[in-house]
Amino acid sequence: MQHLKSIRTGAACYLSVLPSLALLAVFSFLPMFMAFYNSFFEYEVGGARTWVGFDNYLDYIISDPTTAISFLNMAILTAITIAVRLSVPLIVAKLIHSLPHERHRYLYRLAFLIPSVVPGVAIQLIWGLLILGETGLVNSILESIGAGEFVRGWLSDPDTALLALACIGFPWITGFEVLIFYAGLSNIPESVHEAAALDAAVGVKKFLLIDIPLVLSQIKLIFMLVIIGGIQSFEFIFILTQGGPGFETYVPGLWMYDNAFSFQKMGYASSIGVVLFVIIMFFTVINMRYFRSAEELQEAS
Amino acid sequence: MKKTYYIQHAILITGVILTLAPFYFVISNSIRSNNEIFRSPFAFPQSIKDVFSFTVLKLTGRENEISYTVRTTDGEAVLFETRSGNYAEAMSHQWHTMTDGFVYAWEVLRQYMVNTLFVSLTTALGVMILGSVTAYIFARYRFPGSGILFYVVISVMMIPGILTLVPSVQLVTGLGLRNSYLVLILPYIASGQVFAIFVLRSFFKGLSEDLFDAARIDGANHFRLYWSVVLPLSRPSLAVIAIMNILGTWNAFMWPFIVNSDQQYHVIASGLYIMSTSQVATNYSAMYSAYLISSIPLLLLFVYATKPFIQGLSSGAFKA
Repeated sequence: MQHLKSIRTGAACYLSVLPSLALLAVFSFLPMFMAFYNSFFEYEVGGARTWVGFDNYLDYIISDPTTAISFLNMAILTAITIAVRLSVPLIVAKLIHSLPHERHRYLYRLAFLIPSVVPGVAIQLIWGLLILGETGLVNSILESIGAGEFVRGWLSDPDTALLALACIGFPWITGFEVLIFYAGLSNIPESVHEAAALDAAVGVKKFLLIDIPLVLSQIKLIFMLVIIGGIQSFEFIFILTQGGPGFETYVPGLWMYDNAFSFQKMGYASSIGVVLFVIIMFFTVINMRYFRSAEELQEAS
Repeated sequence: MKKTYYIQHAILITGVILTLAPFYFVISNSIRSNNEIFRSPFAFPQSIKDVFSFTVLKLTGRENEISYTVRTTDGEAVLFETRSGNYAEAMSHQWHTMTDGFVYAWEVLRQYMVNTLFVSLTTALGVMILGSVTAYIFARYRFPGSGILFYVVISVMMIPGILTLVPSVQLVTGLGLRNSYLVLILPYIASGQVFAIFVLRSFFKGLSEDLFDAARIDGANHFRLYWSVVLPLSRPSLAVIAIMNILGTWNAFMWPFIVNSDQQYHVIASGLYIMSTSQVATNYSAMYSAYLISSIPLLLLFVYATKPFIQGLSSGAFKA
């Protein structure tokens, strides 16, 4: 480690990290402070500011009619996403990991990664048009098996819109999660497998009692990523349903977007952003304090 | 007894087929005419069947049996004309059927592709330069406040995008950056460098001290240590960071959609969405071609840099 030798070197150090810090100050920290500050005002872009204290927060939490349904939708979508993202890729990773030939294991992992070259917007539009649309794949299959009465616009029918959004990506074998779980399974020491074999733990029993506890840190990681992503994500809803029909698929992020860029209620929109930030922080802190990873549990025991 | 794995393979292959099926239909529909897609959205491309059957007819000396329908427009009226006989003309007609969608989509997307390539490469370069310089300073030098400054940088990872979206738009509007490349590149570098600094700093800290001593004895100054010792060693990490940022830029939709309303500055993601809401949306053949075209750059990256691509994909999600 090189220690500071002269004032000149010190100045050179500050100068070298200055571009990084300047960019962060302008494009990360300044907007963060603006978000908190603006949330206490009522104003339009370029208009006069009125200090309203906590009124924006009170309005949003207590009297806004969209709050309840949008948080419910967010919770449902996030819960479904957690369920499928933790189960399907883990099972697929386990199946791949159990194969004897490294070549096969590699090819399967690659195959599930191919969709990641398609831009996210394209995937969402493809699902909206090709699969869930009026003349889409789901309706074609229903017609061909004689279940024509179920045919509908899956994203425009109020009864199915939210569930249809949750079904995007079926069969949910996301390459990234498969990779993470596969890495976790590969890290299980051989001695554990040998001990399991001695205790006659095989098949599903071994998977539930031995593999799952040992990939707990991967489960925790994906759990947190999905929660943080779920609270923030509204792009795919904006693209596919715009929150409709009615308010059936509204989520808080989309309501924030609408308030800022459709209704020009910038202060109100900022307060929604702060509320979502607080919820994300809540989950992050809970995660850091109470969910201990497998390694930590092993160290403790 | 040798254990077989038929069940595992059966389940996995079903999974692969279900995962890739939508993309098969995208490829298939991209080479079909709109008429074909309207009639049956999931049929096999007629043009491929025709190419085979016409070639068989030609090879068996029955060229005169070739017959196909050409769609022409005469003002408002749409005319269908049956032509026959000439193999070369028939093939050229099939070629046009297959490529019409691509030609149209490329006209719309060309500018967006150029923009996205420019923005993603500039961002990746900026992140690599700023990230490695700052990480190098934090890893190898002690100066007053260096520890605190490092944590200030890292703390940015805790700021979620949803909190800063609205004020960031106001900020760049105030700075007069709307509708430019800079409004994408500068914020992308600002947020992209953080993870790079985090990863590279721990990598640089792990480098052997002997290496630096040897270089110093050879008369290397601070800049040469960075440029000739540190950078060449971190090439694999830099590749992962570059790919991670390119992936991020290629997928970013909301920010470019909001801040760049001028068509001249659309990127792929916002351009595809705007295409799907314009009158092009009913030109299915062009839309499917557009989805395919927009996937080609990352597909090439995936094929030519599989290992860093996979690592970049994984670390990109850790950052989120």
